[in-house]
Amino acid sequence: MSLYLTGTFRDKREAIQAIEQLKANGYGPEDLTVFSDEPVELPRGVLDRKSYMSLVVVSGAVVFFLLVVAFVYYSQYNYPLVTGGMPIFSFWPTGVVFYEITMLGAILTTLGWFVWESGLLRRDKGVPVPVIEPEAICLRVRCAAQQYEATAAVLERAGAKNVAKLEKAA
Amino acid sequence: MTAATTIPYQQVRDDLWRPLAGASKRYTLTLALLCAVALWGLIAWGYQIHKGIGVAGIRRPVFWGFYLVDFVFWIGISHAGTLISAILRLTDANWRKPVTRAAEAITAFALMIGGMFPLIHLGRVWLFYWLFPYPNSRLLWPNFRSPLMWDVTAISTYLTGSLIFLYLPLIPDVAQLAEHATGLRLRLYRVMAMGWSGSDREWHALERAMKLMAGIILAVAVSVHSVVAWDFAMAITPMWHSTIFAPYFVVGAIFSGLAGLIVALNIIRKTMHLERYLTPHHFGNLAKLLLLMSLLWLYFTFAEHLTVWYGNEPKEMNVFNARVRGHFSPEFWVMVFVNFVVPFVLLGIKRLRSITTATIASIGVLIGMWLERYLIIIPPLSLPRLAAAAGRYSPSWVEISITVATFASMGAMYLVFSKLFPIVSVWEFEADEEEEE
Repeated sequence: MSLYLTGTFRDKREAIQAIEQLKANGYGPEDLTVFSDEPVELPRGVLDRKSYMSLVVVSGAVVFFLLVVAFVYYSQYNYPLVTGGMPIFSFWPTGVVFYEITMLGAILTTLGWFVWESGLLRRDKGVPVPVIEPEAICLRVRCAAQQYEATAAVLERAGAKNVAKLEKAA
Repeated sequence: MTAATTIPYQQVRDDLWRPLAGASKRYTLTLALLCAVALWGLIAWGYQIHKGIGVAGIRRPVFWGFYLVDFVFWIGISHAGTLISAILRLTDANWRKPVTRAAEAITAFALMIGGMFPLIHLGRVWLFYWLFPYPNSRLLWPNFRSPLMWDVTAISTYLTGSLIFLYLPLIPDVAQLAEHATGLRLRLYRVMAMGWSGSDREWHALERAMKLMAGIILAVAVSVHSVVAWDFAMAITPMWHSTIFAPYFVVGAIFSGLAGLIVALNIIRKTMHLERYLTPHHFGNLAKLLLLMSLLWLYFTFAEHLTVWYGNEPKEMNVFNARVRGHFSPEFWVMVFVNFVVPFVLLGIKRLRSITTATIASIGVLIGMWLERYLIIIPPLSLPRLAAAAGRYSPSWVEISITVATFASMGAMYLVFSKLFPIVSVWEFEADEEEEE
């Protein structure tokens, strides 16, 4: 059975040291979460999170582009305007519409993927979230029950205050 | 390190959250006054809908009057936030942090107002949905080649992007506010925060999303004002059919947007007592940007008029002469004075540069840029290629009322926003503090 414990740091370097120690003890990034009320820049390799946001956003833009081209093409042919011999469907004069809808695709995909990647709307309700003190860095560790003592010791050695088991909020 | 960065965190939060609590008598009165003016504008619009578009001053050949001037002006103002904020975010300019939210809010509200004008300008506004592409029984589809269709897609995309660009950095702040709020506010903040907990996953995703959004929104913002310029430049009307119209409009938009931002920031600074957060340093930087844009604007205006004058094409020269030494010359020279001379003197001479002079110059620029839109739209329509079709335009009380109401609406929306959300981003201000240390 796994449980969660937290340690509060006032110094970013101490938090980094704790993370490195825990990683050396076999903890992976999925077991460790840093909480703070402002962004904490950790050096590369300390607690990296994979992100596919750029790729997904480009894909979203491409999908919207294809959809809008198809939409304009078929609607112009199905409900043809009198064009006086000019092409019914012409790419360049409709280029602005294609461009804007492509960008709309990128914008909506960014929002959607942000919500997905941050885990905002798919949070496991069973996982407790610590209350963050102002200007503090809180490290939450998921560990097996029998490793609780050893993990707490690592946090304390690194300089964590208030090391405690984290209970789910009522 | 600036003086502001030495403020303790708790003090920062208290100072920036203070304006959210309660409403002073002055605030309530101002909001009531602005709402009354906005309501008067709505009544004027209602009168126009009831009586028909004929109650506006637009007559042949000037079919685009104040409404189009306002449309272009407000779309230009909307470039304050998103474009400026996006540029400063992408270039990692640290001083931007107390400025960005105020700027992004201007964008969202200015776009909402600007986006209303095509509807206000419609003869039968209840049929506005004909603008949208949907299959209908009349076998009529919108013409995707039409610049009006370009406007619909461009403004819709820009508004969506701007609202998301404003919303994303609000999430950490509303999450914190939710911990201290009650009642309706609590519900609003909770919904908006989406359960934000401050985990590193959330912060990473937010930063990536903001970087991407800044890049995307920059491209969209430039395209939006280019499309607005092409509404004019695609026609062969004298002094509209110009290849530099798109960049000319984009420069003008950033120029007026910056001016709007400086005025708004100064009002916020004074009324919310944020002198420690919006410092002379911020205004100094914005003033330098305004001066740069003033010079760029002058360059484009000069280039545009020089080529027309040198070409000496009679129909173009009719409009040129009307602007420079004819019927419209007072507006033209006032425009040059407030858009170039005033900023050049007040902001170019270091000794004179201050928050007050930057605000004075900005108010001048706002007037000047409104006049510029007026001069771009009205003289060419008054003096078309067919001399016999020439005509004059004077706005009716309906158009004037609606124009004034848009400014009141902007103020009212801004007041309400500043009462609901911190106008300076709390978490970003903290990050700035750490980086500088």
